[in-house]
Amino acid sequence: MNCREAVEHLYEYLDKELTPQVEREVRQHLEDCQPCLEQFDFEDAFLKFLQARCRGRCAPPELKRRILHELFGE
Amino acid sequence: MTEPTTPGTPTPVDDRRESFEREALVHLDTLYRVALRLTGNAADADDLVQETMLKAYRAWHQYQQGTNAKGWLLTILRHAFINEYRRRTRHPETVDVDAIEPFAVFEDLQEEDPQGRFFDQIVDDEVLRAIDELPEQFREAIVLSDVEGMSYEEVARILSVPIGTVKSRLFRARRLLQAKLYDYAVGMGYIKGSRA
Repeated sequence: MNCREAVEHLYEYLDKELTPQVEREVRQHLEDCQPCLEQFDFEDAFLKFLQARCRGRCAPPELKRRILHELFGE
Repeated sequence: MTEPTTPGTPTPVDDRRESFEREALVHLDTLYRVALRLTGNAADADDLVQETMLKAYRAWHQYQQGTNAKGWLLTILRHAFINEYRRRTRHPETVDVDAIEPFAVFEDLQEEDPQGRFFDQIVDDEVLRAIDELPEQFREAIVLSDVEGMSYEEVARILSVPIGTVKSRLFRARRLLQAKLYDYAVGMGYIKGSRA
């Protein structure tokens, strides 16, 4: 696998959406290619950052009360 | 003749309620986060989630227990949003999102910040604001995949599009979001950047 092919699979690789065979090929490429590895790490950092920044919000307790009241009359 | 109900014996209503609480209500936080990003404000998000839960409870007999309740609920939520909220909260898309060719931030930062450390300086509200500025089709792909961690297949099912479309939207959405955050970080002086 060359750099262009590896980068084409970048997000699918990070999202763990590749078949085991292609995933192995990408991983092998990354072991041998420092520039691609850096780019993959950068994108990986971005996705982790995104999830960490956005997952914290929970539904307000008041909303849950409203729904329980509406559904079950409590 | 029906059996008299003795105290302590679960009735069908109790069963329905119990299974709904166990399989549907546990996804309240997910529904709320998605609703917040779709509607863009807390009051509409509250109403949208409440309406989704009501519709889901009414249709609970159609849901096959033990299957993907989260996906099922999000599909209901999205339909409710499109039918009732989008018109008044946000305008339907006028841009052709598939024509957007996003800029690759990494190429610009290869020298200065190849590990993307600048991301850590950006506060939550700024990230959410940047997501909210994305075209709706990008926003929903990002929220379902990156925030809620759903698979391409689940996202494709909820959005009623082929998996290839999910991949392409996610790619463009992520790059566009990066570019927005990059511009913000340059503006704030977190990084120098080289984009004029």
